[in-house]
Amino acid sequence: MSMKTLQRNFYGWLLVLPFVITLVVFFVFALIRTVKYSFTDYDLFSEANFVGINNYINLLTDELFLRATINTISFSLVVTIIQTMLALGLAVLLNSRIKAKSFFRTAFYVPSILSSASVTLIFIWIYQKNGFLNGFISQLSELSSYFVLGLFSLAVVQLVQIAHQRFIGLPTKFFDPLLALISMITTIIVIIIVSKLGLLETTTVKVAVNWLGSRDDFGPMPVTLWAITIQNIYTTVPTIMLLFLAGLQTIPHDLYEAADIDGANKWQQLFHITIPQLAPVTFVVITLGIIGTLQMFDQVALLGTSSPLESRITLAYYVYYQAFSDSGTPNIGASSAAALILGIITLCIVFLQNKFGVKEKS
Amino acid sequence: MRQSNKLSSIPESYYKRRRWAKAAWVYSALLLIATITLGTFLIAFMASLKDNALSEPTNFNFAQVRPSNWVSSMQLGLGGNQAPFFGGFSPGAELTFSVTYAVTNDQTFSIPVIKIPRRRPGTGMAATLTTDFAADYALVSEPKIIERNDNVSYIFKRGIKNESKQGKSVTWQFSIRYLGDGPVIDTVPLDITTPREQVLINSSLDPSRFERRGRVASWVNVSPGVIGYVFRSYVRVWNESVSLETGKSMFLSWTYNSFIIALAKVLLTVFIACSAGYALARMNFSGVRSIFLLMIFSMTIPGQVTFISNYEIFNKLGLLNTPWAVITMLVASGQVLIMKQFFEKFPKELEEAALVDGASPIAILWHVFLPLAKPALASIIILGFQGAWNDFFWPMVVLTSPADIYTLPVGLLSLRNAYGVAGDWSLILAGSFLTTIPVLIVFIIFQKHFTGNNIGTAVKG
Repeated sequence: MSMKTLQRNFYGWLLVLPFVITLVVFFVFALIRTVKYSFTDYDLFSEANFVGINNYINLLTDELFLRATINTISFSLVVTIIQTMLALGLAVLLNSRIKAKSFFRTAFYVPSILSSASVTLIFIWIYQKNGFLNGFISQLSELSSYFVLGLFSLAVVQLVQIAHQRFIGLPTKFFDPLLALISMITTIIVIIIVSKLGLLETTTVKVAVNWLGSRDDFGPMPVTLWAITIQNIYTTVPTIMLLFLAGLQTIPHDLYEAADIDGANKWQQLFHITIPQLAPVTFVVITLGIIGTLQMFDQVALLGTSSPLESRITLAYYVYYQAFSDSGTPNIGASSAAALILGIITLCIVFLQNKFGVKEKS
Repeated sequence: MRQSNKLSSIPESYYKRRRWAKAAWVYSALLLIATITLGTFLIAFMASLKDNALSEPTNFNFAQVRPSNWVSSMQLGLGGNQAPFFGGFSPGAELTFSVTYAVTNDQTFSIPVIKIPRRRPGTGMAATLTTDFAADYALVSEPKIIERNDNVSYIFKRGIKNESKQGKSVTWQFSIRYLGDGPVIDTVPLDITTPREQVLINSSLDPSRFERRGRVASWVNVSPGVIGYVFRSYVRVWNESVSLETGKSMFLSWTYNSFIIALAKVLLTVFIACSAGYALARMNFSGVRSIFLLMIFSMTIPGQVTFISNYEIFNKLGLLNTPWAVITMLVASGQVLIMKQFFEKFPKELEEAALVDGASPIAILWHVFLPLAKPALASIIILGFQGAWNDFFWPMVVLTSPADIYTLPVGLLSLRNAYGVAGDWSLILAGSFLTTIPVLIVFIIFQKHFTGNNIGTAVKG
């Protein structure tokens, strides 16, 4: 080995040492210990006994664990899919040629800077039975007759205008932005006049949906987790949007110019240029999204006893719950086994997405 | 023939108008989204000012936003404690308070019964605090009539229905004096009882709530001062989260802990990420590949998988319930990756010249690469601070008692547990907003780095 290689190895390892120490102590060693504990009945205080795969067998028969697994996977998939699409849409919208771009970018980013603890508490308040969301929905449903009127007026005004334009021979499309704008303004004026004259009856509606405390399921997961889904999307979309925005700015302009010449419309450009070109960013976003949502913990802890355990539990919380539940001795064996299963699920989903989902290279 | 003529002669203005309309739609959509993102916080902030954040959740015209109440709360604070902002009740104080009641013309007035109840201010943690009661020191004068009006219209509430009524009104005035010597008292609650038909239509300060089907008008504090009145929940979070051992505000300790921990973590992260990122990117030493793979692997594994072993390590070291347990448990894989990808972008010539001069890799990192790495550094500092500030799971595991040692998110959890049962959401919301302020300040100062493209490009590589 030459002097130069020796020196390079010395400095390389010296520089990387602080990181490697933390990696080995807090990750490798910890992982090995978790594997070891998962085969024992360790409880933090007394000597651990080897119990074979009993912990794993117990988990598979524990209804709470199965519930947590289903909840976690459903939550992760739903949140990742919705937040990626929303963030992409927002980024494309924000990337159009507009003024005050930085104002909107800042306004959209605000939900991401606050701690998940604060935002979760704010949303728990919104979701209370006598809280803002139910109050807001009640008010909206009281005005439902106005919505019907609005939709009706929109359609009529739009149709009349289109008919007129076609009649004079203009090739106007049905969703023409100018005519839609005129229809919208007309409709708003109609609604104001009708409400001033008091022509429409409003009914008193009291909506009292139990967003957080219910034991009901909706689709793949409990209603409570859907409520958390909305909160989670609300906080993570802005960050992802920024990643997409950065990606959008690296797409060469000539691609769009060429498409323009070929006569491709905006939607075709979105699906044939923008989305394929963004594939590397989308890959990162989806992978990080899966990893992040599979370890959802904060919201579950902050919901606390106001929601039933089975409607909010996730694997991450199950791991904590087994180790540090308020009652009973720590069940480190079960906790470790569940933690490993969570790790394996994460690796599997990341692998599957890598194999069959959005790839890094388009 | 006529058709094609028309088509070929579509004026440019036709397309121009459509472009304008399209822009109008885009801006409307953007404004709508901004309303959702910012509006959520606005409504929650407004609700945190209410006495009860859950009362009439969609009504935002409540007592605390009315300027008339700001003026009188200031005057009452002056009268009670010479403190226009924070109020209080101290020896020598004299509060003058007036209430106007209305009845229909065929009814008669009965003199309101004024009482200062022995009521604990607040719920949750406040219930464990020892307090002095205003009731023990205050003397309420006989109410005297200062004004009569024979023609008023007022609203009588029956259930959720409002009835408009016509009648007469009387204004009573009374004073609350501090008798003799004693401690300064934070709050002076007040209850005024009248028959149900006699309706309160005006008072020096709008009542906090009505009890017993409208018979009792109740004020939580008639000597609040303007900040004590408008930002009551915020003052309460600060005052009521008091450590039983030291008597210090725990909210202050939590904020301090969060700051120290976040700063220390950021420093440590920058050190580790720069050195390791540089080594992994620019020095092809033996073992690079395995370290890199291990690093990526560690990023996919949730923290819950490794936390028990780490808990035991800090337990053995006796560092549980100290900030060190949070600061040193740091695997900065993500940040190392950001720095590595950033350093990889530079051309090879950059260090070759320095190597020829015999500079050591550490000197090259320090003198050549770090000055160029400012954008990447900014993003790992900001992301690191934000991450440490918001970190919840690990601090919750290692910081359990005493409550002084919590970080803000863990403190918020304890607030939520202490006050959530009582439904005291004003206070929980106030706590959430207070925790937000430091990050908000960081955000405003470094706004460009947050929403600029640095983070995006750095992460994307």
